[in-house]
Amino acid sequence: MARLSLSFHNARTRLVLASMVLSTLLTATVLAMVYVTANRTISGETRSVVSAELTGLADEYERLGLIGLMTAIERRLPGASERDAVYLLTDRAGNRLAGNLTGWPEDITAGSGWVDLSLRKVDTDDLVPISAASVRLPRGERLLVGRDALARLQFDRVLLRSVALALAAAFALSLLTGWLLTRLVFSRLKDIADTADDIVSGDLSHRMPIRGTGDEFDQVAGTLNNMLDRIEELISNLRTTSNSIAHDLRSPLSRLRQRVEALAEPGKTDQEREVDTTRATVEIDHLLRVLSQLTEISRAEAGLGREQFEPVNLQQLVGDVVELYEPVATDQGIRLEVTGIAEPIQGHRPLLSQALSNLLENAMRYAPKGTAITIALTEDGPHTRLSVRDRGPGVPEADLPRLQLPFVTLDPARTERNAGLGLALVAAISHMHGGKFLARNRKPGLETTIELAKTS
Amino acid sequence: MSRRLLIVEDDTDTRDFIAKGFGEEGYVVEVASDGREGLYHATDGGFDAIVLDRMLPGLDGLSLIKSLRAAGLKTPVLMLTAMSAVDERVKGLRGGADDYLVKPFSFQELHARIEALLRRPQESEETATLSCRDLEMDLLTRKVTRSGREITLTPREFQILEFFLRRKNRVISRTMLLEGVWDYHFDPNTNVVDVHISKLRRQLDEDGADPMIETVRGAGYMVSDG
Repeated sequence: MARLSLSFHNARTRLVLASMVLSTLLTATVLAMVYVTANRTISGETRSVVSAELTGLADEYERLGLIGLMTAIERRLPGASERDAVYLLTDRAGNRLAGNLTGWPEDITAGSGWVDLSLRKVDTDDLVPISAASVRLPRGERLLVGRDALARLQFDRVLLRSVALALAAAFALSLLTGWLLTRLVFSRLKDIADTADDIVSGDLSHRMPIRGTGDEFDQVAGTLNNMLDRIEELISNLRTTSNSIAHDLRSPLSRLRQRVEALAEPGKTDQEREVDTTRATVEIDHLLRVLSQLTEISRAEAGLGREQFEPVNLQQLVGDVVELYEPVATDQGIRLEVTGIAEPIQGHRPLLSQALSNLLENAMRYAPKGTAITIALTEDGPHTRLSVRDRGPGVPEADLPRLQLPFVTLDPARTERNAGLGLALVAAISHMHGGKFLARNRKPGLETTIELAKTS
Repeated sequence: MSRRLLIVEDDTDTRDFIAKGFGEEGYVVEVASDGREGLYHATDGGFDAIVLDRMLPGLDGLSLIKSLRAAGLKTPVLMLTAMSAVDERVKGLRGGADDYLVKPFSFQELHARIEALLRRPQESEETATLSCRDLEMDLLTRKVTRSGREITLTPREFQILEFFLRRKNRVISRTMLLEGVWDYHFDPNTNVVDVHISKLRRQLDEDGADPMIETVRGAGYMVSDG
């Protein structure tokens, strides 16, 4: 799937770029702060040294006079521990008296504070950048003390170069980490996308890879796998059901076809034709019944009809259904017993009646003559149970879970009117009422139960 | 005076089939093919009964009934529906339909139900006694006699008999009995209704001759004066 991977690349490029820009900006900010702070600290130190020196020299002047000051300056010059120190003492007119600078700058008034300027040095006669402070002495002489700024500028250049290097390194590193991180993320995403592609192409058995790290990717993959399990189960049920539908409709349809063909045979009496017509109608009715049962099941499974829930008195409901079936049961030599009581529940009365009727019909199909079928109401925690128990042969344990699947009839002599949908509908109605369909052997007999959520 | 019937049905084949059938039964039939047209005709009045499809273009059957009832029209409505689901049927009845029939249906069944709807107002619920031939039924004392001989019936048997006598000379299908007597809207697989009827028959026809409830082959049962 080229489009998918392409879009991954786009997303990846964007992510890498974003991370790069962010980390570069961050680094740049930090470096700028370092640079500014370093600069400030250095010039702050220089200034305090220079102003201390200025004060010290002014004191010398006070104590020893002009000659003393000149001597002090000259003394400092050769052995200047800081080779970049500059001094200049001039008379009132600005003529040099002492120091290593040639003359007083024209635009600087003594005592005007800290200045940056360029002056010529006496020894080299080079014009050098200088940062300096000056003072006017009490008898009109002017004193300037400063530092050659060249070193500072060099240091500044070195600092800037380091900053630039650091930035470049940060840039490269962020590019690398971005690429690595996104490769990690996108390789996991690509795994998931590839698996999804496999599933799209029709093989539902694929599952998202789980690396066992328990990280968020594993969690997402786990959730997706659960979803896939459920989907596969539903689809396989659906497949089974539709296969069964196709299979189960085929026989009545072919019988119907035979009837219709028989109807068209020449030389039949009206009476014979009527028999054919009746038989055809029976087949059609069977088909219609199967279809409407299927509709009923899927509607109940989808929870349609919940808006018609009303308080249902289960004793009364059981009583009514039993009353309907009593004569048929009596004809078959079966007794119907009712036991137990239960609080009313919220439910779909017509569907609940139908569910019980299906259970009862099922029990009556297998109940031996002379036995009883017990219809019991019990309450158990959050559920009310409505169960029907016959004293028949029961069902092989292995088949119990299959009972509620559509089109499953365990009776090999399946009757014309039993498509094996009755218990599937009961199960669907139980689900609709927040419960389950349960079946177990009671030896003798089978007990089928509709579980219903109590009214909360 | 012949009866006037409105058929609201968008499927041409079904519509023609019903219209032809009722025409042959001597009804004056009018047809509409969508909900709005149907509502227009129905509110125009003068119909004795309406056969209404549940799914219609324009305005669906349920909404149409609601509009009719809101307008105060009490014309009996039989709803046709392709939806056999129990809760759909119940919804139709609660929505104001007087009866419903699931497609596909036999014309016989539809006819029987329409006749039953049309008879409703004539035999009011207040009638104290019902009778047919030599059978008499006192709804107040709940006493049933045939040729003067008193017959003891269970409450359910009484209800079934009353259901038949209120719809004398009409074919009553098993489904109609299940709905009308038991209020069940599903179709049991077993012959429950038949067993109830034969039990009732044993009570009614003790002397063996002249069965009160006749079997109508392929359709159901009937109690007739004849």
